[in-house]
Amino acid sequence: MIAARQFEIDAAGKASDLRHRAVIQKNMASYDASVTRGKARFADWSEARSQAAQIKWQTINHLDQYLEEFERNVLANGGHVHWAETSADAQRLVIEIARRHGVRKVVKSKSMVTEEIHLNEALETAGIHPIETDLGEYICQLRHEPPYHIVTPVMHLSKADIAETFHEKFGSPLNATAEELTMVARHQLRQEFQTADMGITGANFLIADTGMIALTTNEGNGRLTAALPRVHVAIAGIEKLIPRLDDLALFWPLLSISGTGQAITAYSTLVGGPRRDGEPDGPHEFHVILLDNGRTRLLADIEQRDALHCIRCGACLNACPVYRTVGGHTYGTTYQGPIGSVITPHLRGAEEWSHLPFASSLCGACTDVCPVRIDLHHHLLHNRRNTTQRRLDSRLQKIGFRLWAWFMRSEKRYRLAGEVLRVATPLARPWTKTRDLPPMPEQSFREWWEQQ
Amino acid sequence: MNVARENILSRVRRALRTPGHQPLAPTGQTIWPAIDNPWERFQTEFAALKGELITDLPAFLAGFPRIASDVPSVPGNSSVHDADLGVTGCDCVIAQTGSIAVSTRSAGGRALSVWPPVHLVIARRDQLVPDLKSAMDIWRTRYDGSWPSNLCLITGPSRTGDIEKILVMGAHGPKRLAIHFHE
Repeated sequence: MIAARQFEIDAAGKASDLRHRAVIQKNMASYDASVTRGKARFADWSEARSQAAQIKWQTINHLDQYLEEFERNVLANGGHVHWAETSADAQRLVIEIARRHGVRKVVKSKSMVTEEIHLNEALETAGIHPIETDLGEYICQLRHEPPYHIVTPVMHLSKADIAETFHEKFGSPLNATAEELTMVARHQLRQEFQTADMGITGANFLIADTGMIALTTNEGNGRLTAALPRVHVAIAGIEKLIPRLDDLALFWPLLSISGTGQAITAYSTLVGGPRRDGEPDGPHEFHVILLDNGRTRLLADIEQRDALHCIRCGACLNACPVYRTVGGHTYGTTYQGPIGSVITPHLRGAEEWSHLPFASSLCGACTDVCPVRIDLHHHLLHNRRNTTQRRLDSRLQKIGFRLWAWFMRSEKRYRLAGEVLRVATPLARPWTKTRDLPPMPEQSFREWWEQQ
Repeated sequence: MNVARENILSRVRRALRTPGHQPLAPTGQTIWPAIDNPWERFQTEFAALKGELITDLPAFLAGFPRIASDVPSVPGNSSVHDADLGVTGCDCVIAQTGSIAVSTRSAGGRALSVWPPVHLVIARRDQLVPDLKSAMDIWRTRYDGSWPSNLCLITGPSRTGDIEKILVMGAHGPKRLAIHFHE
């Protein structure tokens, strides 16, 4: 209930924060224009989505086989595979690997799954210093803020905000341009890349038939993280599998067009193990940690199993009128927006997170943009139903709906309710404080009809 | 016996005893438009990404005092970490997206094509393929059974849009990406 109350407070604050709204609208307008151009590259975008949905359906519904195939091939490539049932298991595995190699400093490429398992806090507690290298994540780390968006971590910050942070930390000018700020980060982080003992990444895809992970970054930090340190650890949810390397000819453009509008991300990288004999560089060890952390619970929910198709492109966040209004931090979750409201109650428990599916207008914009055709808005509805069935909804709401049903069941009572409500509009003050209510017409529809 | 592995796999198998709802079957329609002129398409895409097509190679190389190279025809004089320019070959070049496919084997390891501030690719015209699918085919034909440990499709220089979606080149990787085709 604490999370629900916090959501209400934060949502109310952000919804009326005009500065926040201006920054988000600017970012979203740029995203929308870019995605429209990106989609025009396809002869048939709708068919591309159907093909992707089919491939993910095939994978998720035979997940055990693909997991085993992936594991077999990673081992054959000289890598190690670990399995983690919970966040704590995954943290422990990473720390064990780090300790074995005497790791003191870690460079990280942007990874939402490491946010999900709160890896940075765990590493710091263990005396290991993690450094985020994606520019957006680096800014988040400097500001001690969680990412605002799964793809664009600092979408909520203006250039001036970021210049201020860099000014405090590095003494760069307050009027620095985006390019100057990026070069400050480049300079700082190049030193970290050269001195880090271990690289940690997520994985955008796990490829079963070649035992590789696919990593996409625009900045090149993913490549450097996998190239320079002695050890590379990749952490991924078990749902990230795709069957074949060739599937990437579809999934790489699909992910980047939905994520940013680019035809393909600047660096679409495949890592298939540690440095091999004859190769000049690369880590000596390569580890993959396969994380469950509630995903098998979602798999067992036959109605919502397709939520595991998600490739974390962020399109549903950007399309969602609620996300655009209340902002990413309000959700209080690793995965925000519609997909977050669908999966979080499964991953983190319905008791604490059952309010999220109600933060939706059910308009279906999320379902329309999903590149793997997840039936998002129906799943939001399913979660609402689950909440009601488990009696997790509030008593006030229940009384409200019972009253509504009672008035609706009799013509007389309905008429009476109408008359009362026409004069009782001041009671709607909490609702109208931030919304417009059109003035009541002098006549009700019934009165008007009777005069005709 | 790995307990976590067995637990996860058995939960997966238990869940999958109930089959999932099939999505609507795709129609099998082509999803990409045909690429009529791959060479023209590559040039357009590469230029839009701010890639540089180099015709006068000696003049270009003269601008870099410290060169690290994996290409025999371009002699190097520097280690990867001190180089102003990294020179590599590639597996193929892709018209559809203006991308360059590299691997640890075709591009001299992992760092050479990403650490130096400028990356030059030396390619042949016959390495041009129309689309991503053909690039995957090239990789598979060349490497199946003995994959390099790292492969990458490089599409333009390193970039970021994290600050107000303003495009900045050279976030962590090369600030400039150039390609020279020799016949």
